[in-house]
Amino acid sequence: MILLRLISWPYARKHLLRILLTIAGIVLGVGVFVGMHTANQSVLAAFRSTIDRIAGQTQLQISAGEPGFDEDVLDRVQNVPEVRAAAPVIEATVSTDKGNVLILGVDMLGDRNLRSYDLEGADESIDDPLVFLAQPDSLIVTKTFAAARDLRINSRIPMRTMDGDRVFVVRGIMKPGGLASAFGGNIAIMDIYAAQKIFGRGRKFDRIDVALRDGVTLDEGIAELRAAVGPGFQIEPPSSRGPEFEATSRIYELGSNITSVFALFIGMFIIYNTFAIAVTQRRAEIGILRALGATRGQIRTLFLSESAMTGIAGTLAGIGFGVLMARVMTGYIGGLLEEVYGVAQSAAAIEVAPWIVGAAIAMGLITSLIAGLIPARAAAMVDPVKALQKGSYLSPGEGENRSRRKWAMACAVLSILALMLNRYTPVFYGGYLLAVMAAVLLAPSLSLQVSRWLRPVLKGIRPVEGGLAADSLIQGPRRTSGTVAALMLSLALVISLGGLARSSYRSISEWMRIALNPDLFVTTAESATARSFVFPASLAAGLRGIEGVAEVQLVRSVRVLVKNVPVMLVATDIESLARRARLPAIEGDGDQMYRRAAAGEGVIVSENYARLHGARYGETIEIPAPEGTLRLPVAGIVRDFSDQQGSILLSRDVFIRYWHDDAVNIFRIYLKPGASEAAVRQRILDAYGTRRRLFVLTNGDLRNYVMRITDQWFGLTYIQIAVAVLVAVLGIVNALTVSIIDRRRELGVLRAVGGMRRQIRHTVWMEAIGIGAIGLVLGLALGAAQLYYTIEIARRDLIGIDIGYAYPFTMALALVPVILSAAYLAALAPGESAVRGSLVEALEYE
Amino acid sequence: MKFKAVIQLRGVCKQFDGKRRVTALEGVDLTIARGEMVSIVGPSGSGKSTLLNLIGGLDRPSAGEIEVDGAALAELDDDGLTRVRRDKIGFIFQFFHLLPTLSCLENVSLPLHLRGWPRKKIEQRARELLDLVKLGARLDHLPDELSGGERQRVAIARALSVFPPVLLADEPTGNLDTSSGIEILRLIRDLHERLGSTILIVTHDAAVAESCARTIHIRDGRIAKDVRR
Repeated sequence: MILLRLISWPYARKHLLRILLTIAGIVLGVGVFVGMHTANQSVLAAFRSTIDRIAGQTQLQISAGEPGFDEDVLDRVQNVPEVRAAAPVIEATVSTDKGNVLILGVDMLGDRNLRSYDLEGADESIDDPLVFLAQPDSLIVTKTFAAARDLRINSRIPMRTMDGDRVFVVRGIMKPGGLASAFGGNIAIMDIYAAQKIFGRGRKFDRIDVALRDGVTLDEGIAELRAAVGPGFQIEPPSSRGPEFEATSRIYELGSNITSVFALFIGMFIIYNTFAIAVTQRRAEIGILRALGATRGQIRTLFLSESAMTGIAGTLAGIGFGVLMARVMTGYIGGLLEEVYGVAQSAAAIEVAPWIVGAAIAMGLITSLIAGLIPARAAAMVDPVKALQKGSYLSPGEGENRSRRKWAMACAVLSILALMLNRYTPVFYGGYLLAVMAAVLLAPSLSLQVSRWLRPVLKGIRPVEGGLAADSLIQGPRRTSGTVAALMLSLALVISLGGLARSSYRSISEWMRIALNPDLFVTTAESATARSFVFPASLAAGLRGIEGVAEVQLVRSVRVLVKNVPVMLVATDIESLARRARLPAIEGDGDQMYRRAAAGEGVIVSENYARLHGARYGETIEIPAPEGTLRLPVAGIVRDFSDQQGSILLSRDVFIRYWHDDAVNIFRIYLKPGASEAAVRQRILDAYGTRRRLFVLTNGDLRNYVMRITDQWFGLTYIQIAVAVLVAVLGIVNALTVSIIDRRRELGVLRAVGGMRRQIRHTVWMEAIGIGAIGLVLGLALGAAQLYYTIEIARRDLIGIDIGYAYPFTMALALVPVILSAAYLAALAPGESAVRGSLVEALEYE
Repeated sequence: MKFKAVIQLRGVCKQFDGKRRVTALEGVDLTIARGEMVSIVGPSGSGKSTLLNLIGGLDRPSAGEIEVDGAALAELDDDGLTRVRRDKIGFIFQFFHLLPTLSCLENVSLPLHLRGWPRKKIEQRARELLDLVKLGARLDHLPDELSGGERQRVAIARALSVFPPVLLADEPTGNLDTSSGIEILRLIRDLHERLGSTILIVTHDAAVAESCARTIHIRDGRIAKDVRR
C-alpha cells in the first residue's frame, strides 16, 4: 500500500488524462451492463408493481389468454365454496393524445370486495354502485390523469369505440396511491358491460379476479377452481403475470451482455496497452525500486494493484454511467413494449439491484487484473542494472509474436473443430470465444504485416513524415498492438451488428413481400399490433360487398400461453392464405401443410417458435383453450416474422370452436384488378368509419409500420454500434497519447535536427491514420467471422430465425472515412502536445 | 584583431518559473568568432547547458538578444527557429539521441529528409558523412548494435549533415569510456580543422576543455572567466 501511495499515486496524478482514457473502456463496458440490466429490471419491477396495485386483494386470477372466455365461467367460479369474492375484469389499452391509458372494466357491485377506490370529493353516484352501473358512460380516472388533462367531475371525454363515437363522463377521481398509482396513474375505470360494448368483446371477460375464503390455501383454491372451469384456463396468483415482458426484455439483456463483454474486452486491451507502455516508461523507477530492495513479487503486486485500482475506478464510474443510461433506456424499453404489446409501462424509479452491482464490480476487476497480468510480469522481470543505464534503448519484444502465433493457431484449429460440433451450445460458444482469442493473438503479427504494406503508401503521400509514421508502427508494435486489437474488436462488433441489421431487414422485406401482400388492411387501431378492440365477424360480409374488393381474409391474432410461454396464435382462413400469401416451407411439404392446417388437422408454426420452444415437425402441440386443450400436430414450419416469440397459424374454424370467439383483429383485403386503392379505402371509411372505430391502412402504411417497429428493435443495436465506435476512438486517442509520451524524446530529436512543427504533426497524424487503417483491415476481416457467430447466436438464442448471412459492405465502406477521420481527430491533441512542449525537456526525457 | 562574430549574446538572462523562480543565466554577454572552437565549463547547475540550449534555439531567453550567423533568434517564430537549427546548427548530445528504430544511414539522412532533399542526394551525403566518421561499414546497423563511441560518431555525422556553420556539443564524451572519449574528441578537432566549423563544447572534462583554444567558465549563471590559449 505504501508503494501505491508513494510510487503509483504521483504517477497517476501526473498522467491523469491517460488514466481517464484508460478506464474509459471499463466505464463503457460496465455502464452498458449496469444500464441495460437496471433498465430491464426497473421496467419489470414497475410492471409487477402495477400488477400488484391492480390486483388489490386478488389472490388468484383466471384467464384464457387474450381471447378471454364466456361470461358463464363467472357463475361457475362464484359457485365454488372456497371463493369469497370473484369479479370479472376487462383490461384494454387505449391511445390518447397524451399517451396510452389502461382501461379497467370492472363490475362495481362485486369489485369493491377486491379493490378499494379511494375517491376524493366523493360523488354520490359512485357511492352507490348501482347508480354507476345505471350510467354506462361513467368513468373513474386518477388524479394524475385528470390533472394532466385538466379534467374535473362531470368533464366529458369523447372516445371512438367499436360501438361508434361515445362521450364518457368523469364521475369519480381517485386519490393518488394504491390502484391509482398503477401505470403511472394512466388508468381509468369503467363498468365492465360498457367495456364489452366499446371494445367489441361480445359477452366475454378477459379474466376473473378471485379472493379465497379465510383458511383456504392457494393450492386448494387452484385445485377447486380447476375442477370448476376445466383445463383450458390459467389459474395463477397475480404475481405470475408478465412472462411475455420478461421474454422480450431477455432478448435485450442477451444483446447488451454481448456488447458489454465486447466493450470490456476492448477495455482490457486499452488497459494492457497503457500498462505495457507504463512499464517501459517506468523502467528507471522500477530499477531504482529493485536497487533499493524491492522484490520481483513486490513489483508485480504494485503493477497489479495499479491495474486493479484502475478497474475499480472504471467500475464505479461505469455504475454511475449505467444508472444514467438506465434512465434513458427505461423510457425506450417501455416505449418498445408499448408498441409491441400495447401496454404502456415506464419505470417510476431506477434501482440498481445488488447482484448487478456485484457482477459489475467482478467484471471490472477481473478484466483489469487480466489486462495487467502481462505488464506486471514484464515489470517484475526488469533488470535493475540495465534499467538504470541512462540512454539505453529498450529491447523490442521479438520472439513474443512467435509464441502468440502458435497459441493463435491452436485457438483457430479448436474453433474450427467447435464449428463442426456446433449443435452443442457450450461447444458453439466455446468455439466463438476461441475464434476471438485467435484473432486477438494474431493481431500483433497481422498489424505488423499490414504496417509493412502501408509503408510505401504513407511514404508515397509524404516521404518523410509517412516514412517516420510507418517506421513507428513497424518498430513499435507493442505500442500499437493493443490499440489495433481494441480497434479490431470494436469494428468487428460494428460489422456484426450492422450485418445483423442488414440481414434482418433483408429477411423482413422478403417476408413482407410474400406475407403482407394485401392491398388494404382494416384494423381497430392505427397500430396494427394493438389488440384491445376487435371487430365482429359480421363486418366481413359488408366489406366483401364494397365495390372493388376481390377478397377479404379474416385474421384473429391473440396471445396465448403455451407451456407457460406467450405465443401468438393467428387464426385465419388458411386456404385463402395459401392461395394468396403462401410462405415457403422450412420443414414439411408446402402444399400438404396448408391443406392439413386448412382442414383443422394441424398447425403451421413459425421457424422462431420451433427454434425457441423446441417444437419439431410432426410433433403435437398442446394449447389450453376454454373448450379444452387443443392438440394438433405441427404440419409444417415457415419463416414468419409476425411475432418475436413465435407464432402458430391455425384454421379460423378450429379457433372459433375452441375459444368460442369469432371476433376479428384485422381484415386483409385484396382488390380486384384495376381497382383504385385510394377509392376503395375511402368507400370503406364512408361505409363504416363514422359508425365504429375503424382504420384502413394501405399496404405501404403497414410496411412502413413494420419497418418502424424493426427500426425500434434495432435502436439498441445502433446504440451498441455507437458505443463500439466510441471505444474504438478512445482506443486510438489513448494509443496516440501514450505513443507521444513514449516518443517524446524521439520527437524532440526530430525537432532539434530541423523538423518543422507541421512535419511533426503530420508524422503523428499519419501514424494515427495508420493505426486506423490497420484496425480497419483487421476489424472488417474479423467482422466477417463475428457476423457469422452473431447471426448464429440470433438464430439459436435470440429470435430463432435464420436470417441469412449478408455482409454489410455499405457500412464497411462508410466505416473507412469514419474511422480514418476519427483517427485524425484523435491525433490532433496528441499532435499538438508533440510540438508544443519544451524542446529541452523533451530531449532530457527518459 | 578583427574577427567576424558568428554567435553574439547581449545581456542574456534565463529564468525558470516553478515553485521557486530559478535564475539559470544572468546578463551574459558573449561573442564567438567564426571558426573558433570553444569549451564551456562550470560546476553542475551553473547554467552551461542552458547557455548551449539558448544558442541552439532549443529554448528562448527570458531577456537579452542572441544572434547566430546573422539571425536574431528573439525575432524568430518557432518555424524560424527551426530553420536556424536546420540550416545553421548541428547538435551533438551526451546521450546521442539517435532514433533507435532507424539504421545509421537513416539517422544521418533524417535532417536531410526534413529539408526535402532528393533521395539520391541524401543517400550520397549520408554515406559520405558516415565514411567521414569511419562508419562506412556500419550503414545498416541499428544504434543498439553499436558501441557508445560509434553511436556518438553517428550523432556527429548527423550533426554535420548540412555542414552547418555552428556545431554545439553537450558533454559529447560524458557518456563514453576514456578511449572512446579521446577518439570522439580527436574526431571533433579533426572536423573543426578540416571543415572550419565553429564549435562549442559544454564539458566537465578538463582534457576536453583544454583541447579548445578558448574556454569560458560559467558560475552561478554568469561568465566567471574567459580564457584564450
